[in-house]
Amino acid sequence: MLPASLDEAVEALAATPGAVPVAGATDLMEAVNAGRLRPAALIGLGRITELRGWRYEDGGTAVLGAGLTHARMDRPDFAALIPALADAARTAGPPQVRNVGTLGGNVATAAPAGDTLPVLAALEATATLARAGSTREVPVSHLLTGLDPLRPGELLTWVRVPLLNAPQVFLKATGRSGPARATASVALVLDPARRAVRCAVGAVAPVPLRPLEAETWVAGCIDWDARGEDGATVIDPAAAAAFGEYVAGACVPEVLPDGTNEGLAQGAARVRRTVSVLARRALGRALK
Amino acid sequence: MSSPTDIASAAAAAQSALAQSAVDDDAQTPEPFGLGSSAPRNDALPKALGIYPYAADLWAEGLLWGAVLRAPHPHARIVSVDTSAALALPGVHAVITAADLPPGPEGAPDGAPHGPIVADRPILAAGLIRHHGEPVAAVAADHPDTARLAAASIVVEYEVLEPVTDPEQAFSAPPLHPDGNLFRHLPLRTGDPEAVGEIIVEGLYQVGRQDPAPIGAEAGLAVPRPDGGVELHLSSTDPHGDRDRTAACLGLEPDRVRLVVTGIPGATADREDLSFQVTLAMLALRTGRPVKMTLTREESFQTHTSRHPALLRYRHHADAEGRLVKVEAQILLDGGAYADVSSEALAAATAFSVGPYVCPNVFVDAWAVRTNNPPAGRMRGEGALQTCFAYESQLDQLAVRVGVEPLEIRRRNAMATGDPMPTGQAVTCPAPVAALLDAVSASPLPALPMDDPEGDWLLPGGPGGAGDPAAVRRGIGYAVGMVHMLGAEGEDEVSTATVRVSGDHATVICAAVDSGQGFATLARQIVQDVLGVTEVYVAPVDSDQSIAGPSARGRHTWVSGGAVERAALMVRHQLLQPIAANFGMSVELLSIADGKITSYDGVLGMPVGEALEGKELWATAQCRPHPTEPLDEAGQGDAFVSIAFCAMRAVVDVDIELGTVRVVDVTVAQDVGRALNPRQIEDRIEAGVAQGVGLALLEDLRTEGGRLVNPSLTGYRLPTALDTPEVRIAALLEERDVVATFGAKAVSAAPAVVAPAAVAAAVRAATGLPVGRLPILPEDAIAG
Ligand SMILES: Cc1cc2nc3c(=O)[nH]c(=O)nc-3n(C[C@H](O)[C@H](O)[C@H](O)COP(=O)(O)OP(=O)(O)OC[C@H]3O[C@@H](n4cnc5c(N)ncnc54)[C@H](O)[C@@H]3O)c2cc1C
Repeated sequence: MLPASLDEAVEALAATPGAVPVAGATDLMEAVNAGRLRPAALIGLGRITELRGWRYEDGGTAVLGAGLTHARMDRPDFAALIPALADAARTAGPPQVRNVGTLGGNVATAAPAGDTLPVLAALEATATLARAGSTREVPVSHLLTGLDPLRPGELLTWVRVPLLNAPQVFLKATGRSGPARATASVALVLDPARRAVRCAVGAVAPVPLRPLEAETWVAGCIDWDARGEDGATVIDPAAAAAFGEYVAGACVPEVLPDGTNEGLAQGAARVRRTVSVLARRALGRALK
Repeated sequence: MSSPTDIASAAAAAQSALAQSAVDDDAQTPEPFGLGSSAPRNDALPKALGIYPYAADLWAEGLLWGAVLRAPHPHARIVSVDTSAALALPGVHAVITAADLPPGPEGAPDGAPHGPIVADRPILAAGLIRHHGEPVAAVAADHPDTARLAAASIVVEYEVLEPVTDPEQAFSAPPLHPDGNLFRHLPLRTGDPEAVGEIIVEGLYQVGRQDPAPIGAEAGLAVPRPDGGVELHLSSTDPHGDRDRTAACLGLEPDRVRLVVTGIPGATADREDLSFQVTLAMLALRTGRPVKMTLTREESFQTHTSRHPALLRYRHHADAEGRLVKVEAQILLDGGAYADVSSEALAAATAFSVGPYVCPNVFVDAWAVRTNNPPAGRMRGEGALQTCFAYESQLDQLAVRVGVEPLEIRRRNAMATGDPMPTGQAVTCPAPVAALLDAVSASPLPALPMDDPEGDWLLPGGPGGAGDPAAVRRGIGYAVGMVHMLGAEGEDEVSTATVRVSGDHATVICAAVDSGQGFATLARQIVQDVLGVTEVYVAPVDSDQSIAGPSARGRHTWVSGGAVERAALMVRHQLLQPIAANFGMSVELLSIADGKITSYDGVLGMPVGEALEGKELWATAQCRPHPTEPLDEAGQGDAFVSIAFCAMRAVVDVDIELGTVRVVDVTVAQDVGRALNPRQIEDRIEAGVAQGVGLALLEDLRTEGGRLVNPSLTGYRLPTALDTPEVRIAALLEERDVVATFGAKAVSAAPAVVAPAAVAAAVRAATGLPVGRLPILPEDAIAG
């Protein structure tokens, strides 16, 4: 089924039990090919043009269509609005996948290494879920943790993110130069109006993790009024390094080797180290 | 699906479009012709157009679909197999288990075993499961989903056994097979065991499991024949060997089995494991209908052989100047569950354990053992690659200890033509090791980012990655290595080819499979050269043709190329004889060039086409290189026909905080004997470097307790274009190997053998870390 509007799509979803929505199919077909999924029917979202763009609301919020492709989010006009999301979209797989893979699909799949997820967590984005006759708004983090999951018959239609007009960064470690899933990622956004730093770590746990204490601490280290050479807010490099450690410590629990779990302990130490470097670099790029 | 004529016309249209544009570009450039030219590959255009047919595209009227049930354990005893649920499924036509196989020798329950050297591997397991994914039963059904469902509904009761997964434990573990756990122990002893050097360097080196990961998974079609035989259409790279082994397992005479070779979707040596093709054939024989089977990616990883993981312990003794005094080594190859070609790989590892260097005293013990890991087999430079990483790492260490540059330590020890190998065999073919090193070192280095700040620098971690220029260190590493070509240790090497000329075109019939290595293109060039004919067709391969042997060990250029040349020369004689007689001169005084037959005195000048008019000439010839002998109990003997050498310089950038490595540039100098098709050689070198870089940084088919951890193309990381460096050819050294056909050496394996060592050396230089393990994971390259 290829509904041409949102209303048609939710109607079709309600009318066809067991039907599954499909956008770029980059996750869905993988599951079908591996025999993990056998949908009774597919409802293609590709023709719902309104979901493929974005609009503004109240001056300070962007409302992103679930059908935005990674390739579209990587374009300069979008990157100027929400740089960290553009960074994430740029690294979300090879070009063929980014040309069709969508924001909505990335959120609905909710894979631990989903690249847009830590960015949405750091931005404290909310999602609109629609079913025939009703919609509801839930924080993306609630969707991901399963606190308030996507229900059968529901369509993810919009993702609301605040426009912060300040530097933001997404960094991803993969262990190779070619496209790959993250072994760890860090999203970091500055919110100068609230004098806040928000950060989320991806791929190290089933859902993105927020190191709230580290965020508060580092926000206090920043002299929000001072300006460096090129007009950026500045931070002491030692504080940036400490921030990295702080974030890593908060998000990757230490595994103490007890003789039986050496591999696990080493693995955890490696991930901590990677997260620490990513968080330090992310802060360094956001603040000059 | 489009019909064959559509395909043909599409190809023709594209061909003429291409030819047209070539004409437009430069009307003067003639078509590449003959040996030494960069003739375009025969298969390039259809492959680029996506119309090159592979086995997975085959279809036959009324075909059934096959599926295989595989063991979920690496080591288990089969207690019982119940196929009744599968047989009861509508649409299922046959279910086979080991009980349906013709009985093996001495009534072995799993039927006749098979193997390229030692027959020790069952087609379908009956008694013991020895590796994860070993086939247990197979099904034919009228739909692929039904077949898979039926296979899954076969109930197998296993008694799970403790797997032996550490090759070092294989020696003391109870035998996993009646043949025992030791495939081969090869000691090599030469010189004075008491010799000691002023400088001693030691190292322990580990190489992971590289998989050929062919882009097309195993696929095939079996068609039963009215005479009780079977015809198999699949991408075999050894049609006669596979035919004979298949027939033996089916209990049929070889002539009842016909193998038709389809397009090969990627092969670096062997393709299509025997269990796959025998099961396919049995299903067809059992049902009396064509059966098609395509494996999933996971099955593909489970079924074909991979590269031998290796553990190598080395001690090099040298004098104060760094000249080698003695090399001691212990080499352990994990052969996995079955013998396959482990003994061959071990011979290469042992014989080349010192590398292309001269050393008077060498003491090596090498073992290939059986474990419950996936079976290992042939893969570009098997055995030679693993030791190259080890001896080159040792030389890097030695350079540091002596206080000279890595290049200098290699120059001081480099082998030259005529020098003996530790096996006692003198290297009588050209061994231009020093010249290769000179060529790579003379080649300009790639620019540094700081010298070209405007450049579009790709940092380790890739575009949009987390790379930070402040944490990036550049490293330059050198490596040189060697690998033999053709079968070794007394293996009979032979190939047969037929050349036919009819009117203005020639046809080559030779069962040498073009696995992507370019043999068909070469055959065309040879015939063009000898006969002056432009149009040369190379016939598709099947097992009704004469034996040409497997597409492995870089043998076809020499053996099959030699056969094609001889056949073409015989045709040439037939063609020229009457003309010469007519003019009262001997054939030797006539030559063919530029499509014309000319006499020495220039009196006669006849177009080849005219001489050939209305004629059809045939000849069949064989090529059999000089024999070799097995290595004896001290590892001594003339075991190899010829050896190829290659030197490389790798330049890497390492993010020393994240441990990500990007190979910026690999510069190659290779000993090719004679460049028969420079463009094709460059392709082969690029392919070898890509594969070597993959092994050095990314590729590792991991196991946990014998179970495959990452049997998918998401989990098994193949290099992409972004992971693959700029490959530059510093030199193709053309010193003829006088005994080789055309004086040419095999080109594919050498770069794959050397690239991992070169990358490791460069990472070592960038990080100052020892780098003793391949692939080099980020945690092995963190130095910040
Ligand atoms: C080779 C390859 C590499 C990849 N690399 C990366 C990577 O590096 N980083 C990364 O994050 N991802 C990666 N992916 C995963 C994938 O491309 C992304 O998750 C993508 O965003 C999925 O979007 P889609 O539109 O293709 O989703 P689909 O496959 O169409 O759908 C995925 C799931 O979401 C559901 N769904 C889709 N849209 C909606 C909607 N609007 N409402 C409700 N449910 C919906 C579908 O029912 C389905 O269950 C990769 C995939 C491939 C094949």
